[in-house]
Amino acid sequence: MDPMQAIKVTFFQECEEQLGELETGLLAMQEGSVDDETVNAVFRAVHSIKGGAGAFKLDRLVKFAHVFETTLDKIRNGALAPANAVMKTMLRAADVLADLVTVSREGGAFDDTRSNELIAELNAHCDEKAAVKEAHPEEEGDNNPFAALGWEPVSLSLEPEINEYLIVFRPKPELYAKGNETTRLMRELSRLGALTVHCEIADVPLLANFEPEQSYLSWRATLRSHQDIAAVQAVFEFVDGDCHLDIEPVEASEAHAEPVAEVAPEAAPEAVEEPKAAASVPREAAKAEAGGQGNATQNTIRVDLDRVDRLINLVGELVINQAMLTQRVLEAGAVKNASIATGLDDLEHLTREIQESVMAIRAQPVRPLFQRMSRIVREIADATGKNVRLKTEGEGAEVDRTVIERLADPLTHMIRNAVDHGLERPDARIAAGKPAQGEVRLSAAHKSGRVVIEIADDGRGIDRPRVKAIAIKKGLIAPDAQLTDGEIDNLLFMPGFSTAETVSNISGRGVGMDVVKRSIQALGGRIAITSKLGHGSTFSLSLPLTLAVLDGMVVRVADQTLVVPLNSILETMKPKPGEVYGLGPDTQVIGIRGGFTPLIDVGYALGFRTHRADPMSGVTLLIETEGGVRSALMVDAIQDQRQVVIKSLESNYGHVEGIAAATILGDGRIALILDTDAIVHSSSGRNSPSDMLLAG
Amino acid sequence: MPAPRVIELPEYLDMPVAAQLAEAFLKLAGAPVAVDASKVSRLGASCLQVLLAAARSWKVEGHALTLSNASARFLEDLNLLGLEPDTFLTGVIAP
Repeated sequence: MDPMQAIKVTFFQECEEQLGELETGLLAMQEGSVDDETVNAVFRAVHSIKGGAGAFKLDRLVKFAHVFETTLDKIRNGALAPANAVMKTMLRAADVLADLVTVSREGGAFDDTRSNELIAELNAHCDEKAAVKEAHPEEEGDNNPFAALGWEPVSLSLEPEINEYLIVFRPKPELYAKGNETTRLMRELSRLGALTVHCEIADVPLLANFEPEQSYLSWRATLRSHQDIAAVQAVFEFVDGDCHLDIEPVEASEAHAEPVAEVAPEAAPEAVEEPKAAASVPREAAKAEAGGQGNATQNTIRVDLDRVDRLINLVGELVINQAMLTQRVLEAGAVKNASIATGLDDLEHLTREIQESVMAIRAQPVRPLFQRMSRIVREIADATGKNVRLKTEGEGAEVDRTVIERLADPLTHMIRNAVDHGLERPDARIAAGKPAQGEVRLSAAHKSGRVVIEIADDGRGIDRPRVKAIAIKKGLIAPDAQLTDGEIDNLLFMPGFSTAETVSNISGRGVGMDVVKRSIQALGGRIAITSKLGHGSTFSLSLPLTLAVLDGMVVRVADQTLVVPLNSILETMKPKPGEVYGLGPDTQVIGIRGGFTPLIDVGYALGFRTHRADPMSGVTLLIETEGGVRSALMVDAIQDQRQVVIKSLESNYGHVEGIAAATILGDGRIALILDTDAIVHSSSGRNSPSDMLLAG
Repeated sequence: MPAPRVIELPEYLDMPVAAQLAEAFLKLAGAPVAVDASKVSRLGASCLQVLLAAARSWKVEGHALTLSNASARFLEDLNLLGLEPDTFLTGVIAP
């Protein structure tokens, strides 16, 4: 890749992160946290995007970010109160900023009227304050505009007034000789607040007369900061005496003067003698703040995803190879040698650790995904006239990056559905005795080796008679079908089903819940609904943490080797005579501790044999499916228990009912990985309306 | 027009490399030069003034001096030092 292009790619990656920070910060501000840290984080996010965009000449982005930043700066320095109306504009501005970033990255058309509208709105908010200022000129002295707006800055821990300093700095050659650096000083200054730097370059000679040890440059900087002058002086503590330095507070009236001016070097006054003891405390504070910002970037590196994937693939091969090696050694009978056996064990441990560590590289918190959803909620709430609040939980839960990426579309659709179909209009909610503001809850949690993501709304719930009526009308089910509540709920996932009488342009973008289900299925996930009329619905997605490995039990069925995912197995047992009963012509159940559980012959269910094997000749695995249904799977024998590397069957061959994926065993043979839920489902009769339990 | 000679800037542009950098430019005097800043992860003032001196000299002599592939860190530090890539190259006024 062309290096400039590579930098641009990095810039856009950083933009994504900054936009996430921005969204989180603005939402926190809307919820009432207007502490300096939050406001600064928001400001920094927009400022960084503007800075990067400037370097790439993305003028539209710069222009918009600039106005946005100016308004934020007013909030930051207390000239504008983050009232509800202001925050709403801010959030919409964040959406436009995100769109501008997208357009800058991917090209395409952008409707300037939208950004212009918001620029006007942002400016209006800035002017609002100006009007307040004029009306209360006496406020300006103590710079507390909040009183004028009847708003008390309760949570502001630091003094709210903003100070402006003019810093004139001319290093002597000794400064550089001692290893100090202007860049670092400026960076420290920039951490104290908004910094504008002007570099005076007139003294730089031609190269022929150039002396590298000389110092030709001088700077004139304007800093707007909450910090007092001691903190600014503290930045220059270690270069005291090695430079000409002048730090002066600027009067409010001069505050908006352009910092660009001719600075005659001889006019620069001598270095200011600073009271060092007094300066040391704020300096620590400034350092702590800087540390908070800096750490995250210092402790991470960006790695091309392809490289990670290559590594993961190689480690997968290593795992297979290690298994093969173990098998060969066993076959050769060398395992009697204790040191070889120990060596093999160690190798297995190591391989497993390497594999887990490599997998962890791809794991990412779901936070950015959740952050994106708050925008979706906002947009659809606006479009439908509903009042919605998105509550997120467990954003820190980590999942494989691919899972996160491929979850964005189905999740977006489900969130849209929750607001559009799930929640009632405010008047209807009040009539039903609920608060006017509806709530959509998005949560993530790790549960037994999988991640469970729930989308819950407190809306009207599924109107089952209506769902059934629509399904009958559309010919999806027979008019006399007897369905359980769960089966009716699952009708929503049938292709061609849409409850909206007229397809709205919000939920119905040509994507139905069947597509959502298929996307989740493709990820090895499952989807389930619970709903209570009048109280809301919950869609829960259960997804694998990684798409690469699986702990499995290796079993033999009709001379085929299969792998059963270990996390679905509750226990294994050998049936005794008298425990297995026939139930009708085609069903068998097994008595387990006083209860009966359906017994499924895996070989028969998969078509490996044409008639059922004798249950007494095999082993049964008691499993529990995602929906909590217990079944007993009958296999011929259990061979081993091990971690297997998943090789997708879909991408290499095609989907096979009852099979989730394949793997390569130690002896080089391919073994199929059983999809226990699908096996249970396909064996539990054909009258079910929908294959609710999906490939896992 | 001859193809510009390329000066690839080192990763750390601080005081110790300023003298070498000035020499490197002097060796290429009289020919168009492309400055490749793709590797730079730190730009100090000592090297900045070398770059400015070079830009000024090349301008006076009427040869092209171009900046290419500036790394994000280079641009960031340049910005902290109060300059933009444009000022850096074109805004240098001959004394």
